[in-house]
Amino acid sequence: MNDRIRKIVIAGVMGGISIFLGATRLGFIPYFSGASLTIMHVPVIIGAVLEGPVVGAVIGFIFGIFSLLQAAIAPTGPADVWFVNPLVSVLPRLIIGPIAWLVYRGLKNLNEVPALVAAGIAGSLTNTGLVLGVLGAFGYLPWPLIGTIAAANGLPEAALAAILTYAVVVPWKRINTKRQGSSV
Amino acid sequence: MAQRNEFELMGKVVIGQYIPTGSVVHRLDARTKLMLGALLIVVAIFVSSIAALLLLFVTVLFGLCITKVEVKLAFISLRRVLPYLFVLAAIQMLAVPQFRLDAKVIWEWRFFVLTDRSLLSGLLLMGRFVVIVSLLALFSFTTSTTELMHGVEHMLQPLQRLRFPAHETALVINIAIRFVPILMGEAERIMRAQASRGADFGTGRHNFIRRFMRMLPLFVPLFILSLQHAQNMAEAMESRCYMGGSGRTRLIQLHYEKQDFVAFLIGIVAIAGALCMSLFKVDQTVWKGVMTILS
Repeated sequence: MNDRIRKIVIAGVMGGISIFLGATRLGFIPYFSGASLTIMHVPVIIGAVLEGPVVGAVIGFIFGIFSLLQAAIAPTGPADVWFVNPLVSVLPRLIIGPIAWLVYRGLKNLNEVPALVAAGIAGSLTNTGLVLGVLGAFGYLPWPLIGTIAAANGLPEAALAAILTYAVVVPWKRINTKRQGSSV
Repeated sequence: MAQRNEFELMGKVVIGQYIPTGSVVHRLDARTKLMLGALLIVVAIFVSSIAALLLLFVTVLFGLCITKVEVKLAFISLRRVLPYLFVLAAIQMLAVPQFRLDAKVIWEWRFFVLTDRSLLSGLLLMGRFVVIVSLLALFSFTTSTTELMHGVEHMLQPLQRLRFPAHETALVINIAIRFVPILMGEAERIMRAQASRGADFGTGRHNFIRRFMRMLPLFVPLFILSLQHAQNMAEAMESRCYMGGSGRTRLIQLHYEKQDFVAFLIGIVAIAGALCMSLFKVDQTVWKGVMTILS
């Protein structure tokens, strides 16, 4: 199949999933720190792992623009006020895909399964780190608080992203994990 | 009936609506609206003057008034965040220390210090937000997604010379937007199917890992099905000899009309005015004037 067409379509569809997760609020998992955990960036990671860094960056762009629009049109919390700034909402999201792809590419030859988990964690931490970094650079939040948020929200988000990336890419690429079939 | 509502995802979506009234703003070229909107947002973010933000807001409000859409609609979402906005502005004003020697202390109570600089930064935060929200409302009321797509594609055209895939970018965004309703239907079907097998997507008080694990039977099939959709669509496009953007002709051609030039003129005057106000520190002059009158 033509590689370019597939890349275009997968980028579009994954961008669609990111919008879908945000618009229906399904991509937010309530969490005790008040700010809910998000998995809206997982389509970016999956797209990057499957189709490369450019596709990842394009999905990241769609995700970023959508989170800007959502923060402006249908805000749900105090943090949304900051996300109206494209430097907070769009710029960091462009980099999630390429980083996830680099990590996946680097570890793939050793073993595919840990590579996927690592890509999920790296992509998610890129999102947390860069968004909070930009917030800190703008002076919206004091740096010590940023460290706390990064640990409290960033680490569980990374875990969820790793689980979901693994759970989707393994069956899609038919990777043999020796644990076939349902566990139920 | 309460059980059924859990699966209905469409109703949960709250995002900008296109309201066709056929006004002048609706008839503007999508490119004009995109370019002016982007410029105004950038200016609103970088300008650091209340007067400049007021000027931008008046411009957007003027735009909203001539769309014949109820202006009230633009501020519905604003009303919901207003409390948060006040809290944030208050934090910005009081808690974030402004270590600047030239800042004057206006009000002091125990460890709260309000300086003129922190007051300004709090007001700017609110002003910027209001301007950007009303601008996005204006844009979404008057531009349909189809128009938006044509606009994006036309605007990226010059970049095609630099080998930037303009047509492909527009296509990707188009697929993403068109796919959302399909995904909604798909997700509803998966949720019903999994519920019939005993899955529970309920909103019980569980820790986040348990909650996430309960959602996995929805997320994994959703991703896999979408990837399958993508593959089918790519095959369908290929079998219809899709060759990409080069040498394609268009059904709808965009043209700049007289009203576009007028819109550009108004927008550029507003932007230049805002930049001048920010540059020549109109705020401080007005502030000093007010102070002298008061004293």
